[in-house]
Amino acid sequence: MTDIIEISVVAVGTFLAMSMFSTLYGKSNPLYVLAEESYIGFATGLTIIWNIDYIWKTGIVNIMGGDWVLIFSLILGAMMLFRVHPKYSYVARLPIAVVLGAQFGLSLRTIIFSGFTQQIQATIRPLFSGPTRTLLYNWTIVICVIFMLTFFFYTVEMEGLLGTSAKFGEYLLYIAFGAVFAQTFMGRLGLFVGFMQSYTIPDWETPYLIGSMLLVLGLVVYMDRAGLLEKLTPEE
Amino acid sequence: MADESGGIMKLMAEYDRRYVYLILFLVVTIPLLSPIGMPISVSPDTRQYYGILQQVQPGDKVFFTLNTEFSGYNEIQSGIIATMRVLVEKNARICFGVAHVEATSIPELILKAVHDELEAKDYQYGRDYVILGYVMPNEAAVAAMAQDFQGSVTQDWLGRPIAGTFLDEIDDWQDWDLIADFTTGIQTTSLLNHFALRGTPMIVNCIGVMIPSQKPYVDTGVYLAILQSMRGGAELELLIGHPGPGLTAMDAFTFGHYMLILFIIIGNVGYLGYTRNAQRRAG
Repeated sequence: MTDIIEISVVAVGTFLAMSMFSTLYGKSNPLYVLAEESYIGFATGLTIIWNIDYIWKTGIVNIMGGDWVLIFSLILGAMMLFRVHPKYSYVARLPIAVVLGAQFGLSLRTIIFSGFTQQIQATIRPLFSGPTRTLLYNWTIVICVIFMLTFFFYTVEMEGLLGTSAKFGEYLLYIAFGAVFAQTFMGRLGLFVGFMQSYTIPDWETPYLIGSMLLVLGLVVYMDRAGLLEKLTPEE
Repeated sequence: MADESGGIMKLMAEYDRRYVYLILFLVVTIPLLSPIGMPISVSPDTRQYYGILQQVQPGDKVFFTLNTEFSGYNEIQSGIIATMRVLVEKNARICFGVAHVEATSIPELILKAVHDELEAKDYQYGRDYVILGYVMPNEAAVAAMAQDFQGSVTQDWLGRPIAGTFLDEIDDWQDWDLIADFTTGIQTTSLLNHFALRGTPMIVNCIGVMIPSQKPYVDTGVYLAILQSMRGGAELELLIGHPGPGLTAMDAFTFGHYMLILFIIIGNVGYLGYTRNAQRRAG
């Protein structure tokens, strides 16, 4: 049994979501602006609340538990707020320096493995043992990596065998870009399908989705025909 | 008219993109409202992922990390719910942690989706599962959890102490039996750097655009397995014999891809025909 709150959430949600999609109409319109500004407002509020909650749980609670060293992190955090003051904004440089230093320290220790050696290791494959299908994949990866790498040799003349290899590598790159484009489309379509699904399951939500679609489309087309789009859309 | 405008070829090359959006809306919505149930095959990656889940033992401590915003959740929810079903079936102990403020309400949605299974297995909050909430805002927080869990997390998402829950058994990265990460890419690299690279077993369900960047980590053994986007979730639903949002979405997915291919062909044929006609006319 659905209650009035659940129905309201779905009705407002579908209307705002469809208003967001109204940007696809190709012209600025007040419904899109309403949805966009609402989202920014809600997201900012949510972010502030949860971050304060995080500071409370990991900072204040632990300080009250006797972990006094965390007071320095709170002071540094407060100093960061001086960014908004024109005269004392330099005070924020110290916490920014600490954050950047800590972040670099954490990342540098590990990124060399995850972002570099692991990626190279993934291209070093057994080429003479294993099932036929796996061998085919492995040979494909190794050969493609070699051809593509030769395309990025900038300090030597690209002629002869090297030139042919680079040319072949270039075509392989085009294929790779195509595959990445297809993956990207699949990802974006997945987001869209997932969103649409969240308003078609359970069944009772579907009329609100269809109704919002038609309402928003109708309103935008009407405003466009009546010359109201520019008039009603606030300037950026 | 045809000569001046470039005819059908120009129309094919320069059609109004709003029609594409409109058709995409229809192509996605209609199959969702009345699914056809087109058959899908199960990829080796999903079988590997399922195999890892099958190895989970009763009482294993699983860190269920939601590295996603709400929009991303829509794409990977089938994988999330299907994975959760298997973990509950295996009597694993599950700790939810999120890396984005929008995801703080997602664990409740997941628990609602598997409510019957939780009741059947008599899952109790604290003893069998805990929701930590927003505990991974940045890499420093993830690193701290890997190094000294009890020192960095003391309360759950509602401010209740985690002392007395099964999380008492967690001190650092070595104490987790599995990390199941569901990601649009927020702190996944941090989890990889500070947990998986040290040796914590980790599986990942990522969105489509992340697959090329994450796959090498499966090949090198850093991740035990990867579940690819909504398609992977649908395949997992098929394997566990519990149809859900993934399988119902596959028709819309398939038709969406057909539509893209069709428009690419139309656009290219139109462009080719139009430019050739223009060259011919120019002499």
